[in-house]
Amino acid sequence: MANAASGMAVNDSCKLKFQELKAKRIYRYITFKIEQQEVVVDKIGGSTETYDDFQASLPGDECRYAVYDFDFTTDENCQKSKIFFVAWSPDTSRVRMKMVYASSKDRFKRELDGIQVELQATDPSEMSLDIVKARAI
Amino acid sequence: MYGGDEVSAIVFDLGSHTCKAGYAGEDAPKAVFPSVVGAIDQMDVDEADDDAEKNSASVGESKNNLRNADSDKAKGKRKLFVGSQSLGYRRDYMEVLSPFKDGIVADWDIVDSIWDHAFRECLLIDPKEHPMLLAEPSSNSQQQRERTAELMFEKYKAPALFLAKNAVLTSFASGRATSLVVDGGGGSTTIAPVHDGYVLQKAVATSPIGGEFLTDCLMKSLESKGITMKPRYSFRRKEIRPGEFQTVDIDFPNTTESYKLYSQRVIASDIKECVCRAPDTPYDESAYSNIPMTSYELPDGQTLEIGSDRFKIPDVLFNPSLVQSIPGMESFAEIAPSVRGLPQMVIESINKCDVDIRRELFSSILLAGGTASMQQLKERLEKDLLEESPQAARVKVLASGNATERRFSVWIGGSILASLGSFQQMWFSKSEYEEHGASYIQRKCP
Repeated sequence: MANAASGMAVNDSCKLKFQELKAKRIYRYITFKIEQQEVVVDKIGGSTETYDDFQASLPGDECRYAVYDFDFTTDENCQKSKIFFVAWSPDTSRVRMKMVYASSKDRFKRELDGIQVELQATDPSEMSLDIVKARAI
Repeated sequence: MYGGDEVSAIVFDLGSHTCKAGYAGEDAPKAVFPSVVGAIDQMDVDEADDDAEKNSASVGESKNNLRNADSDKAKGKRKLFVGSQSLGYRRDYMEVLSPFKDGIVADWDIVDSIWDHAFRECLLIDPKEHPMLLAEPSSNSQQQRERTAELMFEKYKAPALFLAKNAVLTSFASGRATSLVVDGGGGSTTIAPVHDGYVLQKAVATSPIGGEFLTDCLMKSLESKGITMKPRYSFRRKEIRPGEFQTVDIDFPNTTESYKLYSQRVIASDIKECVCRAPDTPYDESAYSNIPMTSYELPDGQTLEIGSDRFKIPDVLFNPSLVQSIPGMESFAEIAPSVRGLPQMVIESINKCDVDIRRELFSSILLAGGTASMQQLKERLEKDLLEESPQAARVKVLASGNATERRFSVWIGGSILASLGSFQQMWFSKSEYEEHGASYIQRKCP
């Protein structure tokens, strides 16, 4: 257990939706928020949505967690996909919110089994498509 | 589990220079006072006792009654004076002592007196009723942590305790679970990589160059130019005609050297905070010789003109060997070879971490602490790191724009954490202490 963890609970629906994203591949992304001392599902993006839609779904001044199922083609022309975990913590959000999300992240991420790449972003440039591509390959 | 009712917790950050204490959930600490105390051995105190007691000895007195018998025996009798006010009052034979030695608590008696002062004089609370969250240095040893738990539970009978690491609190308060925390404190500068809420102990780097060291450099440098800083107690200033002042020196032969130094440091550190700023490029004697002077008025009315020192002193953080050119700081030469500049320390620390996280650390370097609030320090560090870091790294140095948040980031992190409803289950409670003993702290607060 990490030092100074918040002890925030994780709602079961988070795990279920994540399973569906991972195994059934029916969603492109899921965002999560903390509400009344537990992590709950915030928004869900269908499999046809794009990375831009995903970025637009994150609020500009509030923290969120998100998972994104990223499809890409490798240099050898091989179709692949990787699941990204994004800790979104914009600089303009309140200190209290940043603290709550950062101190609950470790525990939450452990609940989601199958994350391949993790990003933490404080402004949109830190999670641009280029960076995601670079991390995926 | 500590299932207490909704009484707010107390958050404590005892730094090497300043102690920050307050109620969890608030935006800034209620009490901020020096981490040093004044001490008078009771043998010497006989004649000085009377006036000292009248003035502000209530702190020391109430403590003497409360202090448990064994510490009295061990330490002999001495009276301790805690807080800016009691320290501001000069007393014969009063020595100024710090509880720390090399960043580690060496004198628990003093720590005890500081806690006591904060609880009873500043926050006006009964420690029996409030859970305590204490911030601790990243490299705190097991013994130190157990000792803390013992003192808190046995003496203060606190209902619950938590020890949180400085660097982790700073990192979380800025919204990051992974970051490199550069904590410019009073007594030292510490660089600590944090990954997913864990401090990577092997890569932690510290240097003795902190705010106090810079203050000393500034003081020596000014002294070598013939400027003496008269402590506030050593003169009386009277308005003889409107707008015209007369300063009369007063001699107190029984003032200790340590008290004189403490009083001078208070002045010098104010000068430092007012005029110093990190130079944009490495300090160069000739380039700065024509720099315009900035004036500063000392408490006794003399006006100081400070030129190149404004930039030279902060540059010591980046280039410690500069100290050798400051008259009176020669003693530093012995440790100088082992001390690195800030950018080198950052890079060395990152290079000790796993390759996979280096990139992320480079792009989230967090500045915290009083010294890190120095003007232009963030810009300079970023620039130096850009030059020295690997090409692929995206260097980003971050610091809260809000000066209070920057200075108190550790405390603020603790304040938020301790006020979370979900955190209640994380406390190390008194009943757990009674059942498992002090060593259980290692499991509850890893």
